[in-house]
Parts: sequence; C-alpha cells; structure tokens
Amino acid sequence: MFGVMERNLHIHYPDAPPMHLHRDELPNEPVRYMNKKIMSKDNWLSFVDRLISDDRREVVGVQSKGEKFVFDPLDNAKDLKLDHDVTILPPKKYLLPTCEELMRFSLSDGFEMESCSKAVPRIIIGMHPYDLIAIQQMDQVYLGKNPDENYKNRRENTLIIASDILTVSDRSFAASMGTCTVSDGFDLLVTDLGDAVVVEEGSPAGTELLSKYTSAQDAGEGDVAKVTQLRQKKQVEYKVAVDVDKKEWAGLLEQNYEHTVWKERSEKCLECGSCTLVCPTCFCYDVEDTASIGLKDGVRTRTWDGCLLRDFTLIGSGEVFRESKEDRYRHRYYRKGKYLPERYGFVACVGCGRCATQCLPDIADPADIFNTLHGSNMRGEPKILAIPKVEEPDMAEPLLTPRPATIKRVEKMAAETFFEIELDDGQPLGHVPGQFVEVSVFGYGEAPISISSPPGGNTFELVVRTVGDVTSKLSTLKSGDKIGIRGPLGNGFDVEGLKGKNLLFIAGGLGIVPMRSLINHVLNKREDFGEVTILYGAKHPKEFLFEDEIFRWHERKDIVHKFTVDQCTGDVCWEGNIGVITTLIPKVQFDPKDTTAVVIGPPIMYKFVIRDLKGLGMPDENILMSLERRMKCGVGKCGHCQINGIYVCKEGPVFNYAEIKGYPEAL
Amino acid sequence: MKPRVAFFDFASCEGCQLQVVNLEESILDLISVVDVVSFREAMKEHSDEYDVAFIEGSITRPIDEERLKKIRGNAKLLVALGACACIGGVQGMSNEWSPEENKKEVYGDLPGYEHTGDDNPFFEKPIHKAVNEVVKVDAYIPGCPIDRNEFAKIATAVLMGKTPKLPNYPVCVECKKNENICVFELGEFCLGPVTRAGCNAICPQYKSGCEGCRGFLDDPQTNAHKEVLEKYDVSVEEMLKRYNMFNFRKEGY
Ligand SMILES: Cc1cc2nc3c(=O)[nH]c(=O)nc-3n(C[C@H](O)[C@H](O)[C@H](O)COP(=O)(O)OP(=O)(O)OC[C@H]3O[C@@H](n4cnc5c(N)ncnc54)[C@H](O)[C@@H]3O)c2cc1C
Ligand code: SF4
Ligand code: SF4
Ligand code: SF4
Ligand code: SF4
Ligand code: SF4
Ligand code: FES
Repeated sequence: MFGVMERNLHIHYPDAPPMHLHRDELPNEPVRYMNKKIMSKDNWLSFVDRLISDDRREVVGVQSKGEKFVFDPLDNAKDLKLDHDVTILPPKKYLLPTCEELMRFSLSDGFEMESCSKAVPRIIIGMHPYDLIAIQQMDQVYLGKNPDENYKNRRENTLIIASDILTVSDRSFAASMGTCTVSDGFDLLVTDLGDAVVVEEGSPAGTELLSKYTSAQDAGEGDVAKVTQLRQKKQVEYKVAVDVDKKEWAGLLEQNYEHTVWKERSEKCLECGSCTLVCPTCFCYDVEDTASIGLKDGVRTRTWDGCLLRDFTLIGSGEVFRESKEDRYRHRYYRKGKYLPERYGFVACVGCGRCATQCLPDIADPADIFNTLHGSNMRGEPKILAIPKVEEPDMAEPLLTPRPATIKRVEKMAAETFFEIELDDGQPLGHVPGQFVEVSVFGYGEAPISISSPPGGNTFELVVRTVGDVTSKLSTLKSGDKIGIRGPLGNGFDVEGLKGKNLLFIAGGLGIVPMRSLINHVLNKREDFGEVTILYGAKHPKEFLFEDEIFRWHERKDIVHKFTVDQCTGDVCWEGNIGVITTLIPKVQFDPKDTTAVVIGPPIMYKFVIRDLKGLGMPDENILMSLERRMKCGVGKCGHCQINGIYVCKEGPVFNYAEIKGYPEAL
Repeated sequence: MKPRVAFFDFASCEGCQLQVVNLEESILDLISVVDVVSFREAMKEHSDEYDVAFIEGSITRPIDEERLKKIRGNAKLLVALGACACIGGVQGMSNEWSPEENKKEVYGDLPGYEHTGDDNPFFEKPIHKAVNEVVKVDAYIPGCPIDRNEFAKIATAVLMGKTPKLPNYPVCVECKKNENICVFELGEFCLGPVTRAGCNAICPQYKSGCEGCRGFLDDPQTNAHKEVLEKYDVSVEEMLKRYNMFNFRKEGY
C-alpha cells in the first residue's frame, strides 16, 4: 500500500528519535557531514541537467513567474534561479499539497475503499534556509508520534537541495529569527558564488547524488571563507527586524491578550486567508468527500484551510466558535508565538515575510505586531494558556484511513438514531468512557460521535442526532450496512482516578449520550464508587433518551436520580420537575467538597451549572466536563478543534474545569 | 425510479446550459442516474413531470414570473444555474435606469421603436430579478458561465440528498492555492476578496481582476475591501461600476 522506502530518512529530530519509526529508517547516529565541494558554474548547470535527464525522480526548482518566483518542475537547468528573493508559495506544497486525495471508495457495489498515499519521488532545488526550517517544523507535527501516512510517504521520497539566500526579500526578517542560514536538514546546500558554486553535503543521499552525477573537488579554505563572508554580508541586508527575541514572544503574548492592537488591525482584515495559505508554517487542513457524477465512486480529499476563514470553526448547528474577527486574527499570532512553541518547542514563524507581502491591507506582518506589542506598555489581565502535558496515546495506523465496520442493530429514538456497531476485523474497540470515534459514511464525510456504551464487549454503541450530511445519511442506514470507523479518539475520563469518589452526573440533552458510557460503567462496578447521583434534563418529555435503561434506575436503591424538562406543552405532559437543569441541583444532597461532578450538555448549560456548583462551594477541580468543537482529523493535526492552543480532539474532549477555565475560548 | 430533471431558460445567453451540454463523457454518467425530460438546448421532447428543475437566466417580465412559479410548483427541487439566475447577472445593471431609458439606449430612434411600448408583452417594464426574488431556490450554481466541475459537484450533492454547499471563502483563497500573482500588484483591481470562490480564481489566473460574477460571500468584508481599493487609488466611480456589474444592489444569497 505504501511506496517503497527510497533511502535512509534524513530528518532533523530535535528531541529523542520517535519510537514509532523502525530503527533502520533512522540514521544510526546523527552523523554530521561537513564535506564541502566546489564546482564551476558550468559544472553545476550540467549537474542539474543530468538530474533532470537521468534521475528517475521529478526535479523541481525555483523559476520566474513574471516578477515573482515559484517552485515548478524544471525542464532545463538554465531556468533554475538561485538569486530569487522568495517564492509565492513555500515548498510545503510538495509535502502537504493544496489538494490531495486521501482515499477512493466505491459507492455502487459493495464496500471498497483504497487509501491513496502514492508519492512522486522528487528532488527540490533552491529551498531557502527559512523554508527548510519550516519543513523541519512540519516534520515534527506530521511525523511525530502517530505519523500522517501521506505526509510521511512524501517526505521519505523527497530530496532537498537547499540554497543560500542571495537576494534578501523586502519584507523578510529571517535574520532576526535566526533562520537565514542552516547547518543541517538538507541533503545538499548550494552557495552560488558567481563564477563557482560551493556545495555542502548534508546526508548520505546528497553525497551519493553528487558522486553519481558530477565530479566535484573538495572546497578549499578560501572557498569556505567566501561562503561565510557572503552569509555575513547578507545577514545585515535585512530591512525588517524584530526588536524582541522570538523566545520572548510567548511571554509578550501572555501579557497582551486584551491589547487593542487585535481589534484595531482586525477591522481592516478581509478574511481572505492569504496570510495562512502562503505561510510555510501554517498547516491546517479540511477534508471533504465528493462523488463522481454517475454516483459510482467517490474520493475523500484534503485541502488547505486556515484559521482566518470564518467557517474554520463552524459546526452543524450554525455555531461559530471563534466568532469575532478579532479572535480569528489574534489566534494566528498566538498559534505562531505561543501555542506551537509550547507544544513543540519551535516558534512557528520563520520570518520569510510572505504573509506581509500578500496581505492587501498589510496587517499580517508578525514583525510589526511583535514590535508593536514590545513597544507599547499596554498590559491586560495576563493569560497563561499553558498547553496541558498529556502523553499522546498510540493510535491505530494508518491514521487517516478508517477501519471497515458493520452496523449490527439500528433503533429509532426520539429524534436520534441508535446504532450497535462491530469492527470487521473482529477486534473490540478498546475505548474508555468519554472517548469518541470518527464515523465515515463514504461520499458524505466523517463526523465525530461519542461512544455511548461502556468499555468491553465486541460491539460498541453510538447515538446520532440528524444535523447535516453525514448524520442525515447515517440515520437512513440499516442493519448490515457498512461504515468506516477511526478511533477510539480523545482522552476520555480517568476512570481509575474516579474510583472511590462520590459522583454527581449532570446531563443536558444529548450530553447523556457520552455520559451513558461512564454511568453504565459505574453502575456495572458500583462497589468501586461512592455515592452516585444522576441529574438529567431534556427540552421536552419526548426527548429523553434510553427510557428503558432509565426505567431500570428506578429499581436501584444505590443511586439517586432526578429528571427535568425545560417545558411541557401539548398532549404529552409529565409529573416530574419542570425547569432548566440547574433547578435540580438544590433538590439533591451531596457534599460539594467531597463530590466529583461530571457535566455534559449544550455549550450554554455549562456556564449556569458551574456557577451553581461553585456557589455551593464545590472546588473547581471537582468539576469534569466534555466539550464539543468542530473536528476533522480527530488526531491533533488539522487545527479545527482548538480552544486557544488546546486540541479538543487530543487533550479533550474531557476537561477538568480548573484546567480549562483560564482559556478565553473554552466556555 | 431515476429522478427526472428539466432545464429551463429565461433571460440569458444560454452559456450555462451549453456548459452542461459540454460535460462530454460525464453527461453519459449523469444520464445513467437521471432522466432528462426537458432540455431545449439538447433535445426536442418536453414534459411537465419532473423532480429537479434547473433554471437559467434572470426573471424579467410578469409572464416570466408566472412561468417560473408554475415550474416551482411542479418541481421538488429548484436549482438556479449561472449568474443570471443566482444574482440577476450582467443584465441586472439595467435596473439602474428606467425601462424607457434602457429602450432608448438600445434601440435609439430606429424604426419600429414605437412598437416596443407597454402594450407589447415582450417589452413589459423589464426589471431583472434573480430567481430567488420570485420563488424559493434550493441550490445555487453560480458563475458566468458556470464551472462544469461545480455543476457536477452540486448536481451529485442534490442527487445524493446532501446539502449543496458552495465555498464560503473568497476567491483569494483559490488565487493563493494557484500561486497567482495578485492583480493588485499588476496595477489592476479585484473583487476577489468579497466574492465567493469556486471558479478556481480563473480571472486572476489570466491576470485580470475578479468582477464578482459568482456573487458576494455570506459576510463580505466590504469595508475592509473599500479601504484596500482606496489604498490602491481606485476611484469610487470605478469601484461602483465593478460592484454593480453582476451584483447590482445584491447582498449575496
Ligand atoms: C467529541 C464530539 C462528540 C460528539 N458526539 C456526538 C454524539 O454522540 N451524537 C451526535 O449526534 N453528535 C455528536 N457530536 C456532534 C456531531 O459530530 C455533529 O453533529 C456532526 O459532525 C455533524 O455532521 P454532519 O456532517 O451531519 O453536519 P454538517 O453540518 O454537514 O457538518 C460537516 C462537517 O463539519 C464538522 N462538524 C459539524 N458539526 C460538528 C460538531 N457539532 N462537532 C464537530 N464537528 C462538526 C464535521 O466534520 C462534519 O462532518 C459530537 C461532536 C464532538 C466534537
Ligand atoms: S508568519 Fe509570515 S513571516 Fe512568519 S513564516 Fe509565516 S508567512 Fe513567513
Ligand atoms: S492576509 Fe490580511 S486580510 Fe487576509 S486574512 Fe490575513 S490578515 Fe486578514
Ligand atoms: S450566467 Fe452568464 S453564461 Fe450563464 S446564462 Fe447568464 S450570461 Fe450566459
Ligand atoms: S488577485 Fe484578486 S482574488 Fe487574487 S489574491 Fe489578489 S485580490 Fe484576491
Ligand atoms: S474570478 Fe471573479 S469574475 Fe472571474 S470567474 Fe471567478 S468569480 Fe467570476
Ligand atoms: S486538530 Fe483536527 S480535529 Fe482536532
């Protein structure tokens, strides 16, 4: 299924080598190739021509497009530019294409899907140091634990011939970012000295390429000195500088969440997304299913997306989580200067200046923003916004391809549909309460759905409310139909940690669906837990889910439970409580200091429930909740589900209120 | 039974229907899943029994409104095809003037001019309306002319029971993905930042500014866009002319 391994993977890992890679894929120890060769300009050109004609890989390089530059396939070494200032798009387009097929599936007969991760083997020539550093950052995100199979395959099939910067771009501030030169990460690095070219070898593959297609002498001390001089000379040619060291960006941002600059600048924003699309360190994406016009087959495609676009956080109900222009505008800077640095250890801006050049209102330049923040003494309430340190679990590989599964049982509920599902490989799902799966209905898409059944058993249960494309189609499926499953995903509840605790469950509406997994687990192992109280509210008596199970709660003497409805109209009336869920809280007895509350419901419910629990003296850390955000990947890559810097799909959806309350985007 | 599909044209150049005819091999695929019962551009037969009606053209005269309402009554789903149907199209510009002024402009003092009076049903005060100004529209396929790939995408969505979704981001997004040079840097100006993407930024690809034929976004950032136009010294006159070309007093759909 995956392409043949081309060569030893030569990728820069700042931390320990990731354990998921096979030993033989990694260099045994980080060998530093310091060999520098020199060749005449003519020899360099014929080397490139030989690559084009004799190497089986596609050769792409920097070329002119009008007054600008782009990476494009090379026909002739003469078209290659080494004196470009910057390309319109960064070379990320070769590793994470603007649009790529993730899988193809058949819609007509039976159930067939095939993942598409073919990679065109490629040599990229002319990559500037800042772009190379950006690719090293992408490697960390896409190749770290749980690698993205398509990215990995492309990366392993890419050979990089970097080039020193000869023309400094007008808006670049790479010198301030320490990204205008590199010492590793390339296979070869060329420095054009005018009449001659110095080539530094950076990997065995680079060395092999040189020896195969040319014969170059070792560079002399004088040549090496010329390279150093050139770099030093260029370093002072930058017209833009950032006055504050990038290591201090995070601190500056913590102090200035409420700075007026966000609102002022964002008012000019076109919401065009250009600043994120052209950025070498922006790598959020969207996924979509489309069918062929004869409805015989279809493809799932992945395309570039960006947080400056309004619909980036839009969910089926019409809610947009990052609602204001100001919030969207600010998010980009926080992601670059604070969230990613804390998560991965790198500042996600390499100072290429593309965003500044491409933003028509000229408000996207990080140099300008950080200089403004640095120079102003406006300080609001500090916001620390730390990323929770969570051990990332091993996920089933491949990451992007669902596992086939079969619907075993379907039941219509109030406005929802209940499904019992079995994976076709016969494996149990192996989830913990609070986790979710990504459900694929081919041709319609994928949707995150909570697992409603307790752990154990060879099947698992979902309850789906009809909202949009995926959920509507799901609601028409029958027993025996096939779907795709990815997961279990997310953190789930710390069931071990809850042992011995008194538990207060507060569920509103659909919140009962994920909560049922935990409730049933607790009821199955009742002796492991303290007092159990369940409060459950629905809009209308008709909307209660799992009536049979609820009925059985009545027979149990070891739990307390109460129900409420927001309103009771028409023919179906009801003798229970009428009023919002908070009206039940005073009706039950619990020791707020010695009880853990588990709260799941619609976004608006949290505010009021938390207010009342705190009012009773419950400490923040005793409140657990499960949050919903727009999701696509479910594995912490696509960027959609972020609450500030937290990925709900990975660090959530279960959160402790004490941990999350400081995040302005949380509740 | 396969869904029955009909195509109707109103005030238009029929360019959009032509795009459908030009689907070439894909048209066979389409026909394998639908029955086309009416399509003047491609066939002689006609039937009033259909499930999905595609409407091309803007709605101009009272008799057209009547005809459209009848079609709406017959169809389960109604799809507006092309800029004329979605937003009124270029002819919407003429709404700026009175029918008399328009007539004068077009026919001048040519003989026969007097027969184009209000008594002639073909010249009843033409006001160009988008289809959704007359009846409910279930799906839009914008553009002048429409993009064949988008037609395929929306048509399959309708057939599969999916919500036919159009991009709700500006043309600039596609422009960047295609690595175009922004026409503002070439001394041109562009409505791309306020216009709904989906055409693959075809005009900027050929170095000319977007004219907004696909209509505005749900929430176009017109103030920010005006500031940019001012920054690039585009006069208010030029700006309005371009804004009104396809989107005369329209606020998107
Ligand atoms: C962790 C989690 C657990 C959930 N559990 C359940 C559940 O148990 N039962 C249930 O009925 N619903 C659940 N939802 C909501 C459910 O995911 C959405 O209703 C569903 O994605 C809508 O998809 P659609 O294609 O029908 O709608 P469309 O509006 O067509 O959505 C298109 C796409 O946008 C994304 N999206 C839209 N709405 C949401 C949303 N609310 N949350 C996340 N992504 C969204 C999805 O990728 C979806 O495929 C859960 C959401 C999350 C985040
Ligand atoms: S934020 Fe701007 S300057 Fe920084 S890497 Fe991205 S495009 Fe380049
Ligand atoms: S490029 Fe500028 S105008 Fe466009 S989204 Fe980014 S900040 Fe806004
Ligand atoms: S939208 Fe353009 S191409 Fe289509 S019918 Fe109208 S004028 Fe012709
Ligand atoms: S040419 Fe037009 S659409 Fe393209 S980026 Fe520039 S303003 Fe946007
Ligand atoms: S660029 Fe603008 S005018 Fe050109 S096809 Fe696209 S939407 Fe229409
Ligand atoms: S990062 Fe993609 S859904 Fe969380």
